[in-house]
Amino acid sequence: MVQFTFWDILRNLLLAAQWTVLLSLIAFVGGAVVGLIVCVARISKNPGPRWAARIYIEVLQGTPLLMQLFLCFFGLSLIGLNVPPLAAAAIALTLYTSAFLGEIWRGCVEAISKGQWEASASLALTYPEQMRYVILPQALRIAVAPTVGFAVQVVKGTALASIIGFVELTKAGTMINNATFQSFLVYGLVALLYFALCFPLSLLSRRLERRLNVARAS
Amino acid sequence: MPLSRRSILLAAIVAAAPLFAALPAHADALDDILKTKVIRIAVPQDFPPFGSVGTDLKPVGYDIDTAQLIADKLKVKLELVPVTSANRLPYLQTKKVDLVISSLGKNAEREKAIAFTAAYAPFFSGVFAPAKTAVKSAADLKGKTIGVTRGALEDLELTKIAPEGTDIKRFEDNNTTMTAFLSGQTELIATGNVVAAAIIARNPPNKPETKFIIKESPCYIGLNKDEPKLQAEVNKIIVAAKADGSLSKISQKWLGQPLTGDLPS
Repeated sequence: MVQFTFWDILRNLLLAAQWTVLLSLIAFVGGAVVGLIVCVARISKNPGPRWAARIYIEVLQGTPLLMQLFLCFFGLSLIGLNVPPLAAAAIALTLYTSAFLGEIWRGCVEAISKGQWEASASLALTYPEQMRYVILPQALRIAVAPTVGFAVQVVKGTALASIIGFVELTKAGTMINNATFQSFLVYGLVALLYFALCFPLSLLSRRLERRLNVARAS
Repeated sequence: MPLSRRSILLAAIVAAAPLFAALPAHADALDDILKTKVIRIAVPQDFPPFGSVGTDLKPVGYDIDTAQLIADKLKVKLELVPVTSANRLPYLQTKKVDLVISSLGKNAEREKAIAFTAAYAPFFSGVFAPAKTAVKSAADLKGKTIGVTRGALEDLELTKIAPEGTDIKRFEDNNTTMTAFLSGQTELIATGNVVAAAIIARNPPNKPETKFIIKESPCYIGLNKDEPKLQAEVNKIIVAAKADGSLSKISQKWLGQPLTGDLPS
């Protein structure tokens, strides 16, 4: 049996953590961009985009991320499209994250009281102006906490990408564990690394909330 | 939650099965391999000694050495694709790999989906438990907790033979199954002889012994259907490797004993 030193284990986990970070970044950025579009469509006054967004959200929230990954990687090959694993993961994670973020942000926008809409309308602001100057700045503040909360879930959710061949943090942990049989050490390190990734996000969230509140006070 | 996800996933695979069959036959796999000078082989990385990882996280093991042997004989470059028991067949069926050398047992269900070459490694599945557990046959499993790896051959067989009232706990990979047994979460474990050997080698307090054999099932190399040329070529290599002792050498290295008896072809 191969002998792993502590350094071997840590080094391999750190290398694998890079994938976790990359996959998370893809999910955040892709999900935020598409999620914004979904959110705008979802609160649109036009029933066409509103229903399209509704169906998009229901389908993606109602199916497991694991299956979405699976279908993007193996399913697309079935119809003759050979997608590399990274592209498949990017597509699936973006779809999944955007559906959740779209819905989270819709909730935040709709949480702004009707009076704000009416007041801004009485100032003769157009719809984009109402959004830009009145509604979104207030919605943004409410959105920070749930968005970061979901982002932390996404970081952990990237572990599912191992089904399509990514050796990210969790997968590397499993592989090393069954070569070393030191479950406690290996999974302990895996958990610590996830914490090291997620905790700064929570800190950032707290700082953002404070800063956005200051903006209101001044 | 992972449980329901997997069930949905399995349902999706089953639902997608006719699609696999509908794929039009295309260029011969062997020609492609010889043309590109690369053979892509799916190997396990969670199943020592067949497939595990070295300190550089590269796969090592019986299956990997066998893959190397085949690549060398075909005089092509070997590209290893690490897989798990849940996704190894989709990898093959979507032609992301040419061969699956992943301690794959043969059964009727699998034979509907893929083709096999001659056997290349010995293997039997059994139910193992500490000496104090009184189990002699499948009927005695009633009311007991038994761990098994989801989608593995033992899972399929155990589901058939276990009496009602058996608490079958399914885990995502062999190592989790093993950890669950070692930590006492499951009283029994249904797994392969080699996994049991690995557990015994570690000398745990609940040292397992063979209670009964579920199935004798040597490992075969899996490949897509309708690839008779590749199948014949790989079979030729296996027969030659059995004859000249190179397969036995791999067995000695990873299973601790030379090949004995006849592996079915």
